[in-house]
Amino acid sequence: MANIDIGNILKSVEDQSKVLAEKLFKQYTHQALSDVRDFLEKSKDALTRWVEDLVRGDIDKDEFESLIKGQADVAEMRALKQAGLAAVQIDTFTNGVLDIIVNAAFAAIP
Amino acid sequence: MAEPSRSQLAGKVVPLRNLIAIAASLVLAACSLIAPYDRAAYEHATNAKVDTLALMSKATSSYDEHEKEVEALVRQLDKAYEYDRGRQLNKITIAQWDILRDPNRDLVGGFLKMWKAKGSLSVTFIAEKKKQIGDAFDQIIQLESGKPRPAK
Repeated sequence: MANIDIGNILKSVEDQSKVLAEKLFKQYTHQALSDVRDFLEKSKDALTRWVEDLVRGDIDKDEFESLIKGQADVAEMRALKQAGLAAVQIDTFTNGVLDIIVNAAFAAIP
Repeated sequence: MAEPSRSQLAGKVVPLRNLIAIAASLVLAACSLIAPYDRAAYEHATNAKVDTLALMSKATSSYDEHEKEVEALVRQLDKAYEYDRGRQLNKITIAQWDILRDPNRDLVGGFLKMWKAKGSLSVTFIAEKKKQIGDAFDQIIQLESGKPRPAK
């Protein structure tokens, strides 16, 4: 049986996986935070407009309420999108780690 | 004990490589958390967004005049939903469609219900609701376009 250094393979897999995780999840965190900030900014502006519209009588109470509740619905849909995009990152990470394991194993076979 | 010959080693190593590759493929297939990108689903969502916003603009006039168009839009949304419902690992997108279409919430379903109940809606409300519902559709569209592309 060929002499394969398992300890060396595991160390290599760990080091490369750490680099991959840092890269992928840093990108994702940055994107998710930017999305949340954008939504909060939009919501703040919209709420100010709707209160003014209500006061002027351009929209009635039902319409105002629908806009407020609708914004909460959009927030929920946005959170679902972020959950989905996080799942994509996890898949990408899992596939990347598998590639690293396979390559490290192949490299160790004489 | 005699050392294995080069050809004997090669005979062991090649099956080992194949075994690793097969195992990796199997693990890969079993590990996905989310459906891959689907062009048809993406197009359903973008078309539905355009058609929904266009019909919403007509809500300043009587609901009765546009009832047939409303029915056609609801059917279009139902088709997009059913298509996505038939895809595996697609629960998150389905949950998004559920919120968007629900008549008891305040996006497309709620808007159409309100239009029907009130007969017509104010210009300002429609303009604001269009921005909101456009944003809601974008959440489905952005998630779809962020899904992994299937391997060719």
